Amino acid sequence: MASKIMGTGAGKTLQQNGRKTILHNPYFQFVLFGVIIACVPLLSSAGILRSSYITLVGSVLIYSVAAMGLNLLFGYSGLISLGTAGFMGLAAYMSAYLTSNLGLPFELSLVISIAVPVIIGILIGLASLRMEGLYLAIVTLCVSEVLRKTFEELEVFTNGFSGKTAAYPKILGFLQLNRDTTYVLLVVALVIIMILTYNLVNGQTGRAFHAMRGSVVAAQAMGVNLLKYRLLAFALATAYASLSGVLYVHFIKYTYPSTWTMGMSLNILAVIVIGGLRSIYGTILGAAIVFIIPDLLLKQIPVLGQINGFSYIFSGVLIICVIMFYPNGLIKVFPELAGLFRKKKGKGESNG
Amino acid sequence: MSTFLQLFLRSLETGGIFALAALGIIIIYRTNNLIHFAQGTMGMFNTYVVTFFFTTVGAPLWLAVICGLVSATLSGAVVDFVIIRNAKKVTASGKEIITLGLIMIFLGITPMLFGVDPLSLPKFIPTGSVSFFGAAISYNGMLNIIIGLAIMGFLFYLLQKTKLGLAIRTTASNEYTARLMGVPTRSVTLFAWALAAILGCLAGVMIAPTTSVTLNLMDSVQVNAFIACVLGGFQTFYGPVLGAYIIGVLKNLLIYYVSSVWGEQILYLLIIVFIVFKPWGLIGKKTIKKV
Repeated sequence: MASKIMGTGAGKTLQQNGRKTILHNPYFQFVLFGVIIACVPLLSSAGILRSSYITLVGSVLIYSVAAMGLNLLFGYSGLISLGTAGFMGLAAYMSAYLTSNLGLPFELSLVISIAVPVIIGILIGLASLRMEGLYLAIVTLCVSEVLRKTFEELEVFTNGFSGKTAAYPKILGFLQLNRDTTYVLLVVALVIIMILTYNLVNGQTGRAFHAMRGSVVAAQAMGVNLLKYRLLAFALATAYASLSGVLYVHFIKYTYPSTWTMGMSLNILAVIVIGGLRSIYGTILGAAIVFIIPDLLLKQIPVLGQINGFSYIFSGVLIICVIMFYPNGLIKVFPELAGLFRKKKGKGESNG
Repeated sequence: MSTFLQLFLRSLETGGIFALAALGIIIIYRTNNLIHFAQGTMGMFNTYVVTFFFTTVGAPLWLAVICGLVSATLSGAVVDFVIIRNAKKVTASGKEIITLGLIMIFLGITPMLFGVDPLSLPKFIPTGSVSFFGAAISYNGMLNIIIGLAIMGFLFYLLQKTKLGLAIRTTASNEYTARLMGVPTRSVTLFAWALAAILGCLAGVMIAPTTSVTLNLMDSVQVNAFIACVLGGFQTFYGPVLGAYIIGVLKNLLIYYVSSVWGEQILYLLIIVFIVFKPWGLIGKKTIKKV
């Protein structure tokens, strides 16, 4: 902070510091955000929102978790993974199998279902991350094809095309959750992930990520082990995706092979590009745009909205436009608007 | 022996299809320095165009294919003209994201224009086969092999012996210097995108009779073309073609001798292991980035 005070904006910084209250504490903001989001079931039981919105908002939260991981990977190291859906599916099927068929407790199955994909992810990363970034995309594409085939063919484990079912989780062995409380569990998981991500990118690891993003060669010269940090980013992305898969299967309660296709991976990628790279709230905004708008708004449009694939066009066009004209993502709209507003206000004051 | 020969002949056919798709990917990679993920999807879209002209309009197959090739040329050119040309400032990984966005757009447009029901496209030569030393191959298979080889021969002649080929190779080696030397790099890129789309469409038309024309038509071809590029290395034009034929042979051998369900998946895993030992492909060499 002290170094910030030096320089031209000294007065402003001091003023801001003085005004700093608990509201500006990022951790408090995350928790507050969680509390607000957790009110959706209350609103729906009060009759303000339709009850189907719980599922909709819940799935946005689930996809946000996976997207947050991909954001760490793509946003910082510029590596593209096309295996997000594959890993989500693997974790979803594993958790469904472990809890329904083997009767393991939810917590244990959660740990196993995250650990196995992460180990696979690390092996893949070791094979592909030593070269330029493009190899990871191709290798993860191969892996997701292998996994998709596995979901379809390995019927003992996945129940094939008819899909696998799972129950709402039972916490600590006695607390059986229903839809609303599982939704709260999703919110808690998301807030924990947000705090973890925040700490990660602002800690030593985050510094290394930032250095890598600026210049790979410079980062290496400063002693950042490229393979180690790329591997870490990919392992984290896989872990987040797995967690999201586990949450998915215990919230939606079904999993089909057709869910975990390339289209899902692309949607998750669309989330981070549209919402904003390297931004926690941007990820959630992106998830809301990609998954809610097609469901709520586009279906209302006559004729066009009834056609399959309209949501794909929507996300695809949005991705391309954002990359070309607004590379920081839509979350940057808010600070820019605020800046404009402040400028106008400042002008008005100086005039007056 | 005759079984093996039969498998080999069929591999030439599938390998040729993969090679066409891989050539499309590598031409874009070399001239634009980006991985064209939408190659397969655009091929799928243009195969739908062919099928539309054949079944709905009732045109003869050869005319339908020509319509498909025209639409492929147009779609490739439009993509370059509207998007890629205006994305000069976008980072390399950003451009790859753009091609991923293209996948979504084409995946959305196709059912909108052509409906959601699976369609079918017949073979060029419906029946008949020739046999070599006890191994039979259909006339259509022969035709596919010959067309594939002819197109590749033509392309390599184009790349190595003509002025246009020289322009492409110069752009591939260094776009900035090429522009300084007076190479019209914009037209070269435009040509590359159109060519890639044509190659994708041809691969789609060749693979379509073996399955039905659906949105997933090109998925497997696409993945195989990518791993052909990985196997052959991204640094040369002929490496991926060689890789594609090797992949074709290996895939059919694995499917026949090991497992009909898992053969292709085993191949993918083998390629990942291959990367560990020879990361730059069979022919490629390590590229050194200068700061």
